[in-house]
Amino acid sequence: MLSRKTKEALKTALAMTIAYGIALSMDWDKPYWAGFAVAFVSLSTIGQSMNKATLRMVGTLVAIVVAFTLIALFAQERWLFMLFLMLWLGICTYMMGGAQHQYFWNVGAFVCVIICMDAGPNSANAFEIATLRAQETGLGILVYSLVAIFLWPSSGGADFNAAAVKLAATQHQLLGAYRGLLSNKGDSAQAQELGSSAAQAKALFDQLLAAASTDDYEVWELRRQWRHYQHLAANLAETLERWREGFAEVQSLDLPHLLSNQENYTAELDARLEQVDRMLANQAPARQPAIIELAFDRAAVASLSHFNKAALAVSRDRLQQLEVLTGALFDCVSDIKGFGRETTPVVKLSPAVNRFVPDPERITSVVRLTATMWLAWLALIYIDALPGGAGFVSMACPLGMALATTPQLSVSRLFVPATFSVLVAGLAYIFVMPELSSFWGLGFLIFTLTFAICYLFAAPQQGLGRAFGLAMFVSIASISNEQSYNFLTVANTALMLPLMFLLLAITAHIPFSPRPESTFLRLLGRFFKSSEYLVSTMRWDPSSKPSRLERWRNLFHSHEVSTLPRKLQAWAPLIGNSAPLGTSLQQVQVVVSSLQTLTYRMQALVESRNNPQAGFLVQQLLEDIRAWRLGVEASFQKLSADPTTAEHEVFRTRLDEITRHLEARTQEVLDKAADGQLSDQDAENFYCLLGAYRGVSDALVDYAGNADVIDWPRWREERFA
Amino acid sequence: MTPIPHEFAIGGVYMPPLLIAGLFGVIAAVVTARLLDRYRLSKYLFYPPLVSLAMMIIYTVLIGTFIIGA
Repeated sequence: MLSRKTKEALKTALAMTIAYGIALSMDWDKPYWAGFAVAFVSLSTIGQSMNKATLRMVGTLVAIVVAFTLIALFAQERWLFMLFLMLWLGICTYMMGGAQHQYFWNVGAFVCVIICMDAGPNSANAFEIATLRAQETGLGILVYSLVAIFLWPSSGGADFNAAAVKLAATQHQLLGAYRGLLSNKGDSAQAQELGSSAAQAKALFDQLLAAASTDDYEVWELRRQWRHYQHLAANLAETLERWREGFAEVQSLDLPHLLSNQENYTAELDARLEQVDRMLANQAPARQPAIIELAFDRAAVASLSHFNKAALAVSRDRLQQLEVLTGALFDCVSDIKGFGRETTPVVKLSPAVNRFVPDPERITSVVRLTATMWLAWLALIYIDALPGGAGFVSMACPLGMALATTPQLSVSRLFVPATFSVLVAGLAYIFVMPELSSFWGLGFLIFTLTFAICYLFAAPQQGLGRAFGLAMFVSIASISNEQSYNFLTVANTALMLPLMFLLLAITAHIPFSPRPESTFLRLLGRFFKSSEYLVSTMRWDPSSKPSRLERWRNLFHSHEVSTLPRKLQAWAPLIGNSAPLGTSLQQVQVVVSSLQTLTYRMQALVESRNNPQAGFLVQQLLEDIRAWRLGVEASFQKLSADPTTAEHEVFRTRLDEITRHLEARTQEVLDKAADGQLSDQDAENFYCLLGAYRGVSDALVDYAGNADVIDWPRWREERFA
Repeated sequence: MTPIPHEFAIGGVYMPPLLIAGLFGVIAAVVTARLLDRYRLSKYLFYPPLVSLAMMIIYTVLIGTFIIGA
């Protein structure tokens, strides 16, 4: 019985051979473009391959339109031509950094460059080149699709269902682990591990949903429900994390006494997720969700200090959110699996933010790619006999885009795959191909080499080697009906690559240094700058409405605060595994984790600020809250100027002082309040706000403590990348 | 006395001496950079990427002049 790896390699090899055979028999020029299409759309399931093939085809067609437009408008104006081509490449690079259709934008960019460069000085060539590109791409896609459908078809449905089961199971286990932590019985290391597993399961689920919607009819039919489930699972993951973040403040309280039915409440949440697991395993639910309220002992709560009341209010709020989400999840999965729907309240999902918020990382990648392409273009014009000629510019585009959008990938990682692939392809081109006299021999060579490359580099992390191997073989072999053999073809390609890498190494430093520690410090500074801005906008003046610019700036900085911890996480392994920095991976991850906590606390603060507050409380405590806000703002300002100057003891002392003062003032104000002046809702809103302010301060102190252990001066030392 | 410039032939394929000098120059520059990093001497440099480029050029010229003859 053949393994999956062997089957996939055989399918790709067969499709490549057939594509070449058809292109050569039809006497089409550049049959290697069909080979490229086969090489790059072949993925592990039909759904993934079809999605990628669709993006490639549509991207090619859009690129053709753009290329024709540019050639028509600027046929005799090379500088204007390049300027507008760069504009298009910049748009594509920016969009490629987004969440959807990255491959469409990637193809739209480099195919446009290929057509523009291959058209050369004769613009009439452009139409032939464009038509050929569309033909060959379509041929490659069609051939691979047919081979994938008829030979060992692998649908994504089974993998997708398994991913959904795993996601639900890990989230269920995570809830159980957090319940244990809350009652001081759990293991925090195990909970952290489960958190990582849940995040990975979610990422896999998201990836497989799109593919399964294409190749599995049942998934396609219920695609809206599955997307709803995806959204709910993401909300559940975030709410669980935000609930866990608040444990430090409530673990010291006598929760079973304060929230009398907390154990039953969390048991109900657990039971709902258990039923979700059952339903995803195609078993009917054993029970329906029970309607449950989280009760609290008024007398016991009244005896708490105000900050403890605030912490309890925040924790209770999170539990109530979890109750709503678990109910919605149960309903959603029940609907998907056809076990009937109960009439439970519909969760109103927060609308997606459609306003444009510029992402600085994506803008940086645009600047980097633009620099790469301009330098390649100038080299083509001013360096006589540049190896590769116009192909140098054509190759700079996809490589430049890949490196610009993945700045963690260093140019040096391309050396080995490139060298190896040029060597293998060169040997086949020089020593084997001249001995072949018919398509039988050529087809056997194409089949064998493609199979070997796909089999040896089958793992997802070997994708770079696979892509380079196939691309180099296809381009160096340059198979066509009028075949010629010239050592200069191999030599030029071999020389072009080091020049390309030199160019990419130079532009990697534009506009910022690619060193992981420099990038980390820069992102850290931005995080605190955005946090400082958000805190500064929390001035209490309900009568003044923010202007459009202020709303937009608020949106931008909120986006920064919510996305920067994830970006920092991507750089953490490069720093942690670097011996010269003297910092372990765990230390960096702890710092990033504390920043994520700060993000959640900031988001909670922004949400709490939007709740209406009792007028008399605002009036009495305005100055005290303002003093606290200014203190936090000053801390963020100091950290934004230099994120490494976090002083744990200073922050802790200042926070304790402010806490004591505010506690006393709050007691004083509430003692003066008349009976009935403060409703239950007002009290809850106030305590949520107080808890949110304290949460931000605590998270700041926590960051300072974690940042203290890092050898920041060593990070700032200059070194070769 | 500096060596006389000449091409390098491998299997009948002729390569310019500057290419070989450049290749060795890059390797020497990379090794130097690694050593400077290893002993934390690179912290005294203002902008290491430019220093790296300068070293490549210097090594290429030196190797080409005194060893290979480019």
